[in-house]
Amino acid sequence: MAAKPGSAPTTYSPNLGQKTRPPIFKDNDLDWVRPDGRGFHQCRPAFFRTGAVNSASGSAYAELGNTKVIVSVFGPRESKKAMMYSDTGRLNCNVSYTTFGTPVRGQGSDHKEFSSMLHKALEGAIMLESFPKTTVDVFALVLESGGSDLPVVISCASLALADAGIMMYDLVAAVSVACLGKNLVIDPILEEESYQDGSLMLTCMPSRYEVTQLTFTGEWPTPDINEAMQLCLDACNKLGKVMRTCLKEAASASQE
Amino acid sequence: MGLPNASADLSTEVEVDAFRRLFPLRFFEKHLLESIRPDARPLGRARDTTIALGAVASANGSALAKIGSTTMLAAIKMEVMTPSMETPDEGCIAIDFHMPPICSPIVRPGRPAEAAPVVAKQLSDTILSSGMINLKELSLVSGKAAWMAYLDIYCLDADGALYDAALLAAVAAFSHLEIPVVSLNDDGKIVLSEEQGLSDNDPVNKEKRKVNLGSIPFSLTCILHKNYILADPTAEEESIMETSVTVVLDTSSQLISLYKPGGAVLAYTSAIQDCIALTRPRVKELQKILEEAVSGMEVD
Repeated sequence: MAAKPGSAPTTYSPNLGQKTRPPIFKDNDLDWVRPDGRGFHQCRPAFFRTGAVNSASGSAYAELGNTKVIVSVFGPRESKKAMMYSDTGRLNCNVSYTTFGTPVRGQGSDHKEFSSMLHKALEGAIMLESFPKTTVDVFALVLESGGSDLPVVISCASLALADAGIMMYDLVAAVSVACLGKNLVIDPILEEESYQDGSLMLTCMPSRYEVTQLTFTGEWPTPDINEAMQLCLDACNKLGKVMRTCLKEAASASQE
Repeated sequence: MGLPNASADLSTEVEVDAFRRLFPLRFFEKHLLESIRPDARPLGRARDTTIALGAVASANGSALAKIGSTTMLAAIKMEVMTPSMETPDEGCIAIDFHMPPICSPIVRPGRPAEAAPVVAKQLSDTILSSGMINLKELSLVSGKAAWMAYLDIYCLDADGALYDAALLAAVAAFSHLEIPVVSLNDDGKIVLSEEQGLSDNDPVNKEKRKVNLGSIPFSLTCILHKNYILADPTAEEESIMETSVTVVLDTSSQLISLYKPGGAVLAYTSAIQDCIALTRPRVKELQKILEEAVSGMEVD
């Protein structure tokens, strides 16, 4: 018995075939209902909890639908000896997936760019001058991918930074919108992302009404661009309120 | 936490924390003289343990195990493979243990923890040799298709006793595992079958079935320091007192594995027997926790 360590047998998953794209997007049929029954402009209910990991300086767990993410923040701690002296602090981000987080095993390594996108989303909001010569490490692990992974990672990361006491100008909330034919669908799930024509991810600081990162992909009709951005900003506002409530509850719970 | 203080004086509290950081061994020995540990546990007691099954919806079986702060998430995904020529009616289990950077300040991306491959190998050896899973149950079509069970265990929070928590999570994931119903389609590939009454032959039973578990292994790690034996160490205790002994027993109290990787303290037979004696009640305790978690799921 025992696993055969030498040979790595090729395996396949006995899943049913790929779902075909619903034809409605070619005919602009508005009778289509989203697979989870949400309205087109309705986000998934968000669940946030700080203090998920005891070993970290700060941490947060976020769950939106099936997307589950844990982010740990370590620092400010010593920069690597090879790094040059820096008057301002450094931010180091890393996003990784569990092997079972994606429907097909091992697909998480398709998202190597998420680490650098997370870095760009957060660096505008953190007061790097408050921790010179040191590094703050932000590590994210996506436990389960259910769509809109990067926006959830970014929001969770900013909560973890707040939990760690890193000084920031404001919380960072992120939301994405998918363009499906003529329809704009907010906070898409994995299935909707697989047949989207274009996507927009917007990361902003809600109280300051400032955008830290904006990413457009795919095909976008021009009037929809403005509408999509406005949708995202409104959703980020609401998400920011939910995140603030989470922090307040955590703070009052620790005071008791 | 820390030494009891009559006055809530901030300067005295800071001294205690500083003393703990500067002279960790003396700090712990002061506690051991009173037969207690800084988190108020007696020497032989393990931390609070919880198991939650079905943590990952997209996996065939999953479990989240917590021993104190140490948190492990185990998930099993089943894929189909061709069995080897020597064992045409046996499936395969691939066990992998990961310590992602979130779990501990000593792990960096690109610099994996030293402990990770050690625990991975230990887990692999224990699970495959304990006889918990009969690989013949994982067979589909003899000689042509068999299940490959990928068991991945992620450490979400590393606070000592990693092997114990990982083994518990793995065992719990196996008890939650449901093998999906599949059938052979015309191209000779195995596909998920949804409706009953398919014209293809069903090599597996008609409904999702659970794996029959043989003797289930449970473990306890103890650290040895001079004449003291401390059960279930935290990360802080492990870093100060480095000699550890891990005992794995199954539910009928048979010894499955004994692991003592070096260390400054030499363990005489009496110390080993004391460790085994500490493990026996712990096995009963863990078995009860696992059974409660499993029956809790079945009520749903």
